[in-house]
Amino acid sequence: MDIIAIQNAFAAALVDPGQPAPAGITTARGKPDEKRFAVYRNNVAVGLTRALESRFPVTRQLVGADFFAGMARAFIAGHKPASPLIFAYGGDFPDFVAGFAPAAGLPYLADVARLEAAWTHAYHAADAVPLAIATLAGLDGERLAVARLTVHPAAALLRSCFPTGSIWQAHQGDIAGSASFSGGECVLVTRPEFDVRVHVLPPRDAPFAEALFGGLTLGEAAERTAAEPEFDFGAALVGLIGLGAFAGVRMEGG
Amino acid sequence: MKALHNPHLPWRAGLGLKPEHYADILSARPDVGFFEVHAENYMGDGGAPHRALAAIAERYPISLHGIGLSIGAARPLDRQHLARLRALIDRYRPHSFSEHLAWSTHDAGFLNDVLPLPYTAETLERVSAHVDEAQQATGCQLLLENPSSYVLFDDSTIDEIDFLDAIAERSGCGLLLDVNNVMVSAVNHGLDPYAYMDRFPVERVGEIHLAGYDETVDGAGERLLIDAHGSKVRDDVFALYRHTIARCGPVATLIEWDNDVPTFPLLLAEARRADSVLATAAGRREPMRRRA
Amino acid sequence: MNRQTFAFALAGSLATAMATATAAPLPAEKMVGMEKCYGIALKGQNDCAAGAGTTCAGTSTMDYQGNAWKAVPKGTCTTMNVDGHMGMLEPAKG
Repeated sequence: MDIIAIQNAFAAALVDPGQPAPAGITTARGKPDEKRFAVYRNNVAVGLTRALESRFPVTRQLVGADFFAGMARAFIAGHKPASPLIFAYGGDFPDFVAGFAPAAGLPYLADVARLEAAWTHAYHAADAVPLAIATLAGLDGERLAVARLTVHPAAALLRSCFPTGSIWQAHQGDIAGSASFSGGECVLVTRPEFDVRVHVLPPRDAPFAEALFGGLTLGEAAERTAAEPEFDFGAALVGLIGLGAFAGVRMEGG
Repeated sequence: MKALHNPHLPWRAGLGLKPEHYADILSARPDVGFFEVHAENYMGDGGAPHRALAAIAERYPISLHGIGLSIGAARPLDRQHLARLRALIDRYRPHSFSEHLAWSTHDAGFLNDVLPLPYTAETLERVSAHVDEAQQATGCQLLLENPSSYVLFDDSTIDEIDFLDAIAERSGCGLLLDVNNVMVSAVNHGLDPYAYMDRFPVERVGEIHLAGYDETVDGAGERLLIDAHGSKVRDDVFALYRHTIARCGPVATLIEWDNDVPTFPLLLAEARRADSVLATAAGRREPMRRRA
Repeated sequence: MNRQTFAFALAGSLATAMATATAAPLPAEKMVGMEKCYGIALKGQNDCAAGAGTTCAGTSTMDYQGNAWKAVPKGTCTTMNVDGHMGMLEPAKG
């Protein structure tokens, strides 16, 4: 057998526990041994499960270790890493969780996983000096209205129908007793320097933040939020920029 | 062949660099010969890992150990991955660059283990070409690591040591001698680890790895060692290491501890243990044979 | 509000907010000090953030592949009340 055929057979048996070890795999006894081949299968399965456990520790705490292991196994079966960069593995795990029927009773689970995915992404994201508010101070009203802010490479905005930030926060230390949460939250993940930060934004500013992250101009974002009586354009902008949400400003089309 | 950047690690014990130890290392500045990183863990765009590695690289020699290049794969090397390795090498100027005689990439995705390959004329040619390509792309001599394995291939026609030696001869690469892998494979395949070691072309060795194995049994109830990197170096491996150093002289020696990572002081104690063996052999060795 | 008035209002609002921000009694060295008064800062565990590394180590920990498992809620979801719903998980097959 040529090496391409050998590796195709090896890989096919590796990813499918239902298959026997491939032909041509043997031992010093001259006889194949399923348990030996299973070491490789196990290394891959356990390694990827650990990768998910380490990226999604709160998701795991929420459902318990056994349920998480089962959910991870179901995910791994259909999602092998696209590259050897294992820290990036599981970016699509939150979407999988959202559609994982046995967890349907925990509708907030996928958003908690999304927050955790954003956390690791922020940790490894490119370094960039956050936009300073002083950069905008020199712009007159006309130019301010058409300015677009470049999202910082580490920043992510998660608008959730659930109290995702509070649930996440409750799992950062020892959880004592029961807890009660309600309402949606808009969570902003940033990494202005090297430490990842997580903030729950004021609800009135959520549509504005979302508009800016979506690439709208400051004027468009402000118009979109104008109906919100409590909204204060200046305070929201100073706040978001102060948290390190943006890396630059660009002026297009006027 | 272009002249390759031929780095040197000190003939000391080194440790695998773990994020949980960044603070310990940067504040206490322990006396450690070098730190080794898994290349793939520093292929993110920025952030704390690069900041820590840059700070540590200012104070210690760095060894770059790749896991994902898949040199033993039937498919061509991933050019993008080679470029990422090159960028890391240019940025951190490691004193050693190593990879595995194994494969891990496939159409099925990245199979995150170091998978074995049969030793044949065909794979010898393939692997030699891949090593050559990796060295040209990174501008750096590569040390190729002997694998640990749990199975054999009916198709194999070449002895493992002859296979490694031939690749080194053809490509000009050096070898990374993993003493734990020698023990694991020898036990798993009913070979004498000392006989293996005494045949190994030690003049090509640029670095040694030590780690702890786990133990189980195979389907026939025979002893099966697992290359687990989750404990202290086992006594029999350490004895084999002493034997190896006595034979070949001092070689930069890494303590690999990747699962259930211990506190830094425990890791440092393992390095001291290896350092004491290296100290007894200091000065008895010529630098690794190199080709320009 | 016409376009010009709107733009003027934006600039005015920003100027006011910046004046308030600088006037606030925050330590000068806290350039990101705005977070003190904007949004709720959540405290995470930065040290555990690296995520999984790529490693060449094997494992003797067994993944019991293919075994059906019964998911009994053992996680913290059972002690949390989110919008009136207590955590409920359905059995799944691995």
